[in-house]
Amino acid sequence: MAERVSNQSALTWFLQRITGILLAFFLVTHLNVHHLFHDITLEGIINFSGVRENLQASLWWKIYYIVFVPFIVFHALNGLWQIIADFRLKSGAAMIVKALFWILGITLVAVAIMTLSNLFGGGA
Amino acid sequence: MNGDSKLKAMIKDADLNKNIGNFSYWLHRVTGIGLSIYLIMHIYVLSSAISGPESFNERMGSVQNPFFAVLEVLLIAGVFAHMLNGLRITITDFFSWSRGHKVLFWILAVIFVILMIVAIKLQWPKFFIDNYAMGGH
Repeated sequence: MAERVSNQSALTWFLQRITGILLAFFLVTHLNVHHLFHDITLEGIINFSGVRENLQASLWWKIYYIVFVPFIVFHALNGLWQIIADFRLKSGAAMIVKALFWILGITLVAVAIMTLSNLFGGGA
Repeated sequence: MNGDSKLKAMIKDADLNKNIGNFSYWLHRVTGIGLSIYLIMHIYVLSSAISGPESFNERMGSVQNPFFAVLEVLLIAGVFAHMLNGLRITITDFFSWSRGHKVLFWILAVIFVILMIVAIKLQWPKFFIDNYAMGGH
């Protein structure tokens, strides 16, 4: 007999796939611009002024990173939670782990947004 | 079943069922855990920008050398493997295409190899310390 899946589990399963599809685009762009296509022989090592110059080149980079960061943090922590959930924790332990993940997730997004704000520079 | 015996059961299952489905299940989980740990470290390293340009340049300078360039190849391999396998899982789930999942696995494995050849070619100059003194903003 088919087992009923909770609405929350179905939602997180769905969101994991949707964020995963979007992250394929975001990550390939991020990897290409900041990792693979950064030519060390022409541009030198990555530094503050170079990153700021890249980010200020277009408003789209600000929108891109403000969307990208919460998506990737959600996808990572929700994925880790799904792995942990396979071990069928007792409800008290599961609640503690969930709470810690929420705190970690909010902290990571907040730190990343503060970092981006400093890198965007004036008017960010 | 407690956590310890669940883990033992999973390892035993992987040992008994050496097939593409099981391999991709473990590949996705291992790369997912690795990439999540990297994400936390990446945000930590970049957060030095909050303290100003000098702090950022100092911390970024310490992770830009041939050793980290090799680690970066492992990161890129993890990202591509997780991304391509994730797309396979999503296509299989959304289009109920479980019959084709093995064919899809091998198609994406070929794409993975091609992407890694291109990535290593692009990374190549970063494997040599002399190149780090060149260029610059």
